Amino acid sequence: MTVLAWRLGILVGFFAVWEAVAAPLNPLFYIRPSSLPGALLGMWRVPDLPPLGEHVWLTLQEIAGAYVLAVAAGLWLGFLLGLRRTVGRIYEPLLAALYAVPSVVWYPSLMLFFGLGSASKIAFGVLLGFFPIVLSVLAGIRQVPATLVTVAQSMGARPFTVFRKVMLPAMASTMVGGLRAGLALSVVGVLVGEILGSRAGIGYVINYAYGLMMTREYAVLALLAAAAVLALDTAGALVEARVKRWAG
Amino acid sequence: MTAPGAAIRIRNVSHHFGEEGDPQRVVALRDATLEVARGELLCLIGPSGCGKSTLLNIAGGLVAPSEGTVEIGETRVRGPLPREVAYVFQESALFPWSTVAENVKLGMLFQGVPEAEREARAESALEAVGLAEFAQHFPDQLSGGMRQRAALARALSLQTEILLMDEPFGALDEQTRLLMGEWLVGIRRRARKAVVFVTHSLQEAIALSDRIVVMTARPGRIKDVLDVTLPFPRDLNAPEVTELRAKLWEQVREESLKAMGTLP
Amino acid sequence: MGRLAVLACQAATLAALVLAWHVAVRTGLADPLFVPAPDAVATVLATTAREALPRLGDTLLKALCGYALAVGLGVAGGLLLGSRRLVHAVAMPYVVAAYGVPKILVLPWIALILGLGTGTAVLTATLFAVFPILLMVAAGVRDVDPTLVTAAVSVGATRGQVSRKVLLPAVLPSVLAGMRVGIVFAMLGVLLAEMFAGTRGMGFLMQRMAMAFKASELFAATLIVSILSIVVVLSLEHLNQRLSRWR
Repeated sequence: MTVLAWRLGILVGFFAVWEAVAAPLNPLFYIRPSSLPGALLGMWRVPDLPPLGEHVWLTLQEIAGAYVLAVAAGLWLGFLLGLRRTVGRIYEPLLAALYAVPSVVWYPSLMLFFGLGSASKIAFGVLLGFFPIVLSVLAGIRQVPATLVTVAQSMGARPFTVFRKVMLPAMASTMVGGLRAGLALSVVGVLVGEILGSRAGIGYVINYAYGLMMTREYAVLALLAAAAVLALDTAGALVEARVKRWAG
Repeated sequence: MTAPGAAIRIRNVSHHFGEEGDPQRVVALRDATLEVARGELLCLIGPSGCGKSTLLNIAGGLVAPSEGTVEIGETRVRGPLPREVAYVFQESALFPWSTVAENVKLGMLFQGVPEAEREARAESALEAVGLAEFAQHFPDQLSGGMRQRAALARALSLQTEILLMDEPFGALDEQTRLLMGEWLVGIRRRARKAVVFVTHSLQEAIALSDRIVVMTARPGRIKDVLDVTLPFPRDLNAPEVTELRAKLWEQVREESLKAMGTLP
Repeated sequence: MGRLAVLACQAATLAALVLAWHVAVRTGLADPLFVPAPDAVATVLATTAREALPRLGDTLLKALCGYALAVGLGVAGGLLLGSRRLVHAVAMPYVVAAYGVPKILVLPWIALILGLGTGTAVLTATLFAVFPILLMVAAGVRDVDPTLVTAAVSVGATRGQVSRKVLLPAVLPSVLAGMRVGIVFAMLGVLLAEMFAGTRGMGFLMQRMAMAFKASELFAATLIVSILSIVVVLSLEHLNQRLSRWR
């Protein structure tokens, strides 16, 4: 019970401090939490803001597109590097080197090549999202117990059956973790892409509000986006727990 | 598969790991020749690293020998023979995400046995090992001994002529181990398969086998073959057993010391 | 496959990619406005490098400042989080939530208050880098084998001695792992801040090149930054291995 009390206390304390610090200062710069609910209600009626519904829908589509491609690319590359030993030995270090580069350096080039439209956001989302998936496939393959594979082979299972009935279930918990991280990163990629330069989408609206110094509206949007991402990740965590329980 | 008497014929098998010139090259077996008669239980015993598991895997076709041949029935072995050979390993190697029953049916599934027959065979195999009530349990809900019995049921259900067991009771505590040994003897009375059993335990070798093959320290060769003609069930306190154990220990001890790096 | 053969294959693959790139641009498959030819990039490499180097230095400096702050906060926070049960139970959901929220959402506010310069970049770098460090250190502390602590206490170690002689060495690998990850995140934070709201630094330069369609220069700049990052991370790896040798 004390834990819950402490947690609540922290939350309340956080907002109280924020409010107290921001109150005497310029409300334009130092957003007061108490002003936010009002802004939320007013937002749908503000003519200066572009229609939210369309932008949200576009961002969701971009996220979906990026994630699907990231999963496809990640699984394909992960299995290619993991199952073919020689291919893995050659290309894994290259992948590791790529991982050392802060992903955002690719974005200006993507913007140049794909333009300011959705394509660059999807491309960036794929770039960010496929890494954890590849890594989790590689890790998953490595921890499949060799005896299970041997037993299956000794009982007459052919390579594809071994893959389907032994490797995939044994890899399931590791892979689902990677798939979850991949989703989180695809979302980040799309959002960052939109905020750094776009003509539509949630990130664009955030930028727009910010540019017009509509700071309260920006704060509301940012908080809503954050809440949405957290909800998505929680859903992902539930799926992950489910899979882990099944895989034993 | 009607070879006159021999289930497995191993001829001049040698095996090494690693290539010529590789500093980590290991010669596991040197020139092993052995025949396993149909229906007999043969024990492979020897010090650690003497190649008993390697020999077992080569006998079953899981590993291709560097030199020499293996024949099962009349056919030269070139790969796993799931219809002739079934395995039980030290780690029960049950799939943690499947129930005991599903695990037992797995091998038959791979070999295309029709569903009704799968069910029937699995049921009788589980009965034979005494796990019929635990068919719907998951492996992590069972004790070590029960898991090995499930692995044994899986192997039995394949109805192969040959059963290869690599220290199947090695990870169990002594009491369970002794009981499992009795169990195995009981099962063999019903289904007379050729069994090759790798073990460290002299007790186990004497309690279970028709013949005991003693292997030398690495590189493994066949040092001696002892016949055990005592009737089952074996009284482990009988004078013949004590005598046999002494003789066996003398052989094994010598090789174990060599494996450890000191000669007597 | 020997080490040399592997290296050869890697080099061959990279060479093949460059060749394919060259062919694509020459045959018009890729529009030279968006995709510069390899030789075009090579030509501007020197000039771009000269322009980029001071900015890179600026970026790196800001990243290191943010990184240092993040390491300090992350290690201290991680130790606290990992060792005190109550703190862990209470704070963990918030830490995980903060880690899960895309930090770019906060960036506009930071820029609003701290302006378009160094402060924003350093704070963003700290923000990005502190979370992985914190989580890794906390996990490392929780993973310490309790029997080690019991053993130490049973031979008379004081609280301080336990912390120094048992916990610290046991936690060190996690701290180093967190620090390795942190540097990339710190650089990420600075570059992001520069692209969004900066007037100096590499991020700003690259953004400007993209807007001006200076494809060759942008490619060259991207290449330079990538190689720099790889070198930095590899050096840290090497350093880490050197340090771990005494274990």
